[in-house]
Amino acid sequence: MLENLQTLILSLADDELFMGHRHAEWIGLGPILEEDIAFASIAQDETGHAQAYYQILTDLGLSTPDEWAFRREPKAFRSAHLVELPNFDYDYAIALMRHFLYDAAEKVRLQALTQSTYEPLALLAKRLQSEEKYHWLHARTWIERLGRSTEEAHHRLSAARNLLWPYAWALFEPLPNESEIVEAGWIPPSRTQQAEWVALIQPILEPVGLWKAPPTEAEISQCLGARHGVRSPYFDELYAEFTEVSASEPDADW
Amino acid sequence: MMSLDPRIRRAEPYLSQITEVQLEPLGHWPTYEVFVQRTRGGHAQHVGSLHAPDPDLALVMAKEQYARRSQCVALWVVPTHAILWTSAEDEDLFQPATDKSYREPQGYLNSRERLEKYRDRLKPLS
Amino acid sequence: MYGNLVVRPEDIANWGKKVQEEDPVKLAEFEARIDRGEKIEPHDWMPFEYRRQLIRMIEQHAHSEIIGALPEGTWITRAPNFRRKLALMAKVQDEVGHAQLLYSAAETLGKTRETMINDLLSGKSKYSNIFNYPAKTWADTAVIAWLVDAGAIINQTTNAKGSYGPYVRALERICWEESFHLKYGYDNVVYLATGTPQQRAMLQDALNRWWRPLMHFFGPPDTQSVHTEKLVRWKVKLATNDEMRQQFLDMYVPKIWELGLTIPDPILHKDPETGKWVYADPNWEEFWQVINGNGPCNQERLAVRRFAEENGRWVREALRPKDAHYVTPLA
Repeated sequence: MLENLQTLILSLADDELFMGHRHAEWIGLGPILEEDIAFASIAQDETGHAQAYYQILTDLGLSTPDEWAFRREPKAFRSAHLVELPNFDYDYAIALMRHFLYDAAEKVRLQALTQSTYEPLALLAKRLQSEEKYHWLHARTWIERLGRSTEEAHHRLSAARNLLWPYAWALFEPLPNESEIVEAGWIPPSRTQQAEWVALIQPILEPVGLWKAPPTEAEISQCLGARHGVRSPYFDELYAEFTEVSASEPDADW
Repeated sequence: MMSLDPRIRRAEPYLSQITEVQLEPLGHWPTYEVFVQRTRGGHAQHVGSLHAPDPDLALVMAKEQYARRSQCVALWVVPTHAILWTSAEDEDLFQPATDKSYREPQGYLNSRERLEKYRDRLKPLS
Repeated sequence: MYGNLVVRPEDIANWGKKVQEEDPVKLAEFEARIDRGEKIEPHDWMPFEYRRQLIRMIEQHAHSEIIGALPEGTWITRAPNFRRKLALMAKVQDEVGHAQLLYSAAETLGKTRETMINDLLSGKSKYSNIFNYPAKTWADTAVIAWLVDAGAIINQTTNAKGSYGPYVRALERICWEESFHLKYGYDNVVYLATGTPQQRAMLQDALNRWWRPLMHFFGPPDTQSVHTEKLVRWKVKLATNDEMRQQFLDMYVPKIWELGLTIPDPILHKDPETGKWVYADPNWEEFWQVINGNGPCNQERLAVRRFAEENGRWVREALRPKDAHYVTPLA
């Protein structure tokens, strides 16, 4: 039972952790100062959310948030491959499209979690919704505008969508023992969340010509395994950088 | 270039290929003036400006630049060109030329004194 | 009487106009206003020299902030725990925010942000020399957040008593935000100084490398500085380089020694008679070399800013309104 709860919470937390980390790579390098500042807030929010999710496990007598984040072996992570992907070529189209697809999923997830029978999760989800509201506002405002602006912007966003599409669907990979998790009332089935997510993103992407048919099962299968401990090919480099300082002196206080 | 910053290393070789950059006028968009209402019941106050392409993005970005670390219940943005204002030469417009104490409470300090004097005059008659 | 502010082309074009050539009546009123402690606002009459010097100063400050985001930004992805990672993200975000505020303040004087950025990227406009040095280790970020920010705060609190309204307002907010930077930096330094032998060694090494740039931070000695009487009169320059340097040493050398760290200056001490700190010559030749482009990171800093601007061009162009026209910001 605890193991299932841990899997659920780590999936949520690890997604936030690496999403925040990838967003943070843009701080100081954004396309314009004002957007640099806004995106940096989103990076901090996600990182803080990760810490808050881990804290639920800490409150159950398990490791501290720092230990969860900085001291785990790769296969113990449960992050979706979408958030492990690098910021390829520092392409802001990828940054924005990933942010859009991810935050839509977060919106659905959090709304579902507010009804969770596991009270700490329900309470946390309720709190996080106010920050998530801003992320969603930010993401869809940008996509709506850039999507109908220039040919170049549209071309870049389409290419980004193509790259990220199967990874985004894979966000909803069923958790290990999902039927037990659903039975316990902790979160609705992944498939249900996915359907709500599609209903959220399609009406925004379609009018700006950025919607396309869902990826095939074959395409998605390349991105699966995350919730079972399979890491993306990008994880090792990501985590080596993530832990460069903390691992240099594992028992030190920083 | 072999930067110590892994983020910068990841931006190569593209980064080193950019040798000259020239921004054109309005390359960073026009400006909006930002007003923040700190608490319910308070006035919205001008706090600065920002560059944005339209009002919605101006609001989205103003939230973080002008309300990220300080209290705020509402945010307004106005295109800079929509604001009219008085020139510095006309600061004297705001200075009154004659005594306007008739419209200030301090202009009415003597009523009591007049009444006292009147009552004093009446006393010997009673 | 009512209208948009139009900064006249001649306000910007006439850089060469000397103070003696200004309208004496207007100049006297302007100076009297400053003497009374009142602020000069964007639509006020001002001597060309005042406008020119302020633009130069505020613009340089803005460039320093956006460049200053780079050495510490290096370590965000490698920060060793949640608390440090979040704080560093917030701090670097603040620096970008300060750049935004300062560009806006300079814009009120009539120079556009695009022109300022072009001047930075072409090497025409300068930024604070200290950011031309590399943040080699995690401990460097601690030293920077504590001591470089300390220097910046001394500069900023001094300038916050200046005469130009928009700059003073920007500085008030900047000073308030920077107060957390200093606390964060000091906290970071304390953890390293009271940590493992390797952490202490890393910290001492960082301090050894950053000490000389810190001594250069407030600029050349007063004996080498250019005539600044008018700038003092107009409350643009409010303290001398040496005065601020002395303030820095007085506030921070005892704190550095208290941590058990050594400072790489064999003669550094406070003269009990004069109350002034005495220090070894910090090699001003190096300062001039670095400010003229020969520092370890000059090329990289500008290359990164060029990259950020060029990389973001398609985004900005995609949304630029076709019918936009530029109006100088208000205040």
